[in-house]
Amino acid sequence: MAVTFPKKPVSARAQAMHVEAAKRTITTQAYLPEVVRGVAVSMQHFFTNTKEMLRGERPDPVHERLDPGISTISYPEQKRPYPERFRGVHRLTVRANGDPRCVACLCCSTACPAQCIFIEPGEYPEGDSRRGHERFPVRFVIDELRCIFCGFCVEACPCDAIRMDTGVHAVPYDSRDQFIYKKDLLMSFVDRDGERRDDNPRHEPGDPSHPGIDRKRAAH
Amino acid sequence: MPTFNYDGHQVAFEQGETIIAACARAGLEIPHYCWHAGLSAPANCRMCLVEILPKPGTRAVSLDIVELDDATGQYKTVQKPKLQPACQMAAAEGLEVKGDTSPHVHQARKSVQEFLLLNHPVDCPICDQSGECKLQDYWLEHGQFKKRMRDEPVHKPKAVSFGPTIVYDAERCVMCTRCVRFMEEVAKDPVLEMRERGNLNEIAVAPGRQLEGHYTFMTEHVCPVGALTTKDFRFKARVWFLRTAKSVCQGCATGCNAHLDYDPRYNRAYRYRPRDNMAVNKFWMCDEGMVTYTRAHEGRVLDSRANGASASNAAALAEANQLFSGVNKSGVAFVLSAQHSLEDNWALRQFATTLFGSNAFYVSGAKNGYADDILISADKNSNTAGVKQLVPDAKPFEALVADVAAGRVRHIIALGGDAPSDASALKAATLVTLASHEGALTNVARVVLATTSWAEQSGSYVNVKGLTQVSDAALAPQGSSKPAWQQLADLSRVLGSDASWTKLKQIRTLLDAESPARPAAAASPATPAE
Repeated sequence: MAVTFPKKPVSARAQAMHVEAAKRTITTQAYLPEVVRGVAVSMQHFFTNTKEMLRGERPDPVHERLDPGISTISYPEQKRPYPERFRGVHRLTVRANGDPRCVACLCCSTACPAQCIFIEPGEYPEGDSRRGHERFPVRFVIDELRCIFCGFCVEACPCDAIRMDTGVHAVPYDSRDQFIYKKDLLMSFVDRDGERRDDNPRHEPGDPSHPGIDRKRAAH
Repeated sequence: MPTFNYDGHQVAFEQGETIIAACARAGLEIPHYCWHAGLSAPANCRMCLVEILPKPGTRAVSLDIVELDDATGQYKTVQKPKLQPACQMAAAEGLEVKGDTSPHVHQARKSVQEFLLLNHPVDCPICDQSGECKLQDYWLEHGQFKKRMRDEPVHKPKAVSFGPTIVYDAERCVMCTRCVRFMEEVAKDPVLEMRERGNLNEIAVAPGRQLEGHYTFMTEHVCPVGALTTKDFRFKARVWFLRTAKSVCQGCATGCNAHLDYDPRYNRAYRYRPRDNMAVNKFWMCDEGMVTYTRAHEGRVLDSRANGASASNAAALAEANQLFSGVNKSGVAFVLSAQHSLEDNWALRQFATTLFGSNAFYVSGAKNGYADDILISADKNSNTAGVKQLVPDAKPFEALVADVAAGRVRHIIALGGDAPSDASALKAATLVTLASHEGALTNVARVVLATTSWAEQSGSYVNVKGLTQVSDAALAPQGSSKPAWQQLADLSRVLGSDASWTKLKQIRTLLDAESPARPAAAASPATPAE
């Protein structure tokens, strides 16, 4: 059964904004005079702009740098500068010896609302000074198709091991498997200035700079 | 029952019971590390201190303590009541005990917490205990302080291999000695001990020994922090990703209650944890049992097979129909499985008696193995007693082999893939088996119908003491497997007669109607362990 809904009353504001149709005059009805008038307005702007551009009074909107007020750029030759904290494609920071800083704690994977990070942790072999202190990622995979670039992984990381400061936005590819970024690829990325920057210098277990005393050095 | 007062709650206790045990039974948790309901109480962690009010008319035992006055920056003498460890203090009629409501107790807990964390590495991100760690829990409840110690922390041995199953991290250890006491009191193998003193204190294995035997995993489970980790679970998963199902261990006839922890994202089981049940396993499980969770994935029959080749369920059923067309129905033998649930076995018995009119029942299962007087039974099947209840006169598997050899049995429908002895003689007969795992029977069967394992279906199991226990489903069915009772209903339909059951609930109702006297195990533990 058809249900009839009451018509929404026209508000006073909508009535005030009502646009009047053009009045019928001889020139509008004859059509051509109004066309000529419209073209004349366009040509007037064209000649004024050309004159000012040739005289150097106004920049070329296509080839000049961005100026306030001009909203058109010729992408991709020109790119808008991304803001400093733009979250781009992830990278894994590395230690002095080239190992990833990541200790495979899965904090990023826990924080990730899109569940796009997969990590398989591994234990350092017997004899490695980091054994017991840390673990390392055997596999570290980010599905950039699932990623929503929220940056929670970066905030969750206790080791400054994952960053989104590459300045590269999500890249289009031909096939889906190209979006699956693995550990080596993620470690090969640099930040927007081309550097492998990270914060908080590391004190590897076993180094003299590593904090703490052990039984040999204990005073008691 | 006599009672005492804890924070306004009237707590009933039995004569000789400690305050913490009585409170735990009443569902009131007093923070603790070293106390465990199943172990002796050394009172060495000092986390369970409570304030006991003096009897009316008497003076409280109090101590003069020097305390820093924040307002003046000077030390002053204050009087504090002498706090008592709830794990050693026997409850008494009319006792007035204050825990959470006492500011002195709060201060004591916070100080103990700070003391235990002085040299703690705080490596929670890479610690397997993280998420179920008492240090984390109590820090949130009673600590929430920043580290005040300016000294360098003390480093102790890390990732020490205690044996084939356990790894020890001395820095994380709070020296509660639960593992030491477990090995001494429950496993009866005092192989762990403490060495050094003060902040160099650590747990060590007795010289010349390894932490080995049948109860090593339990040391990890009783550990309230991440000091002991099993090599089996180490770095495999973060516990907050895991969901848990109330399961029953399938390792032997004891039927220990367990939590099966699994990750629903990968449909994968990761570990077994003991579930407290005073009537069966108390708080414990054996190593062999705790690794049986791997059977949820290893050796599984994922797809049905017909004549050795993988087949769809429908094709396998059609092949079974062809094999059994024109067969003398009452001559078909049926093999019940002591490794399958009561419901599965009931369905097979019903299938045999109604559709075939056969009473030739045999029973199969795994062969006997190691036994001890702590938990482990020699019978390695989870439901031997259940099958005995259903079909008391089922003949042993050896009788089936003999009957097939003598030509008395030519057609067999079996449940389960495992057999206690060599089954190659069954090749002479036409065998259809419903199996969740590969075994002697699946090797000789003409048709194998894939059934779900215990981890993927709910089922009841009767343990060696005759207690019926329900194990819940954890995982989603793997491959194209279905519960055995469902496969039997499908087989029944293919053979030309609809089964009388379509749901698990129906089978349970009929099972209950059959033997209402079947004793059910206590659903909830009498005493929570932690």
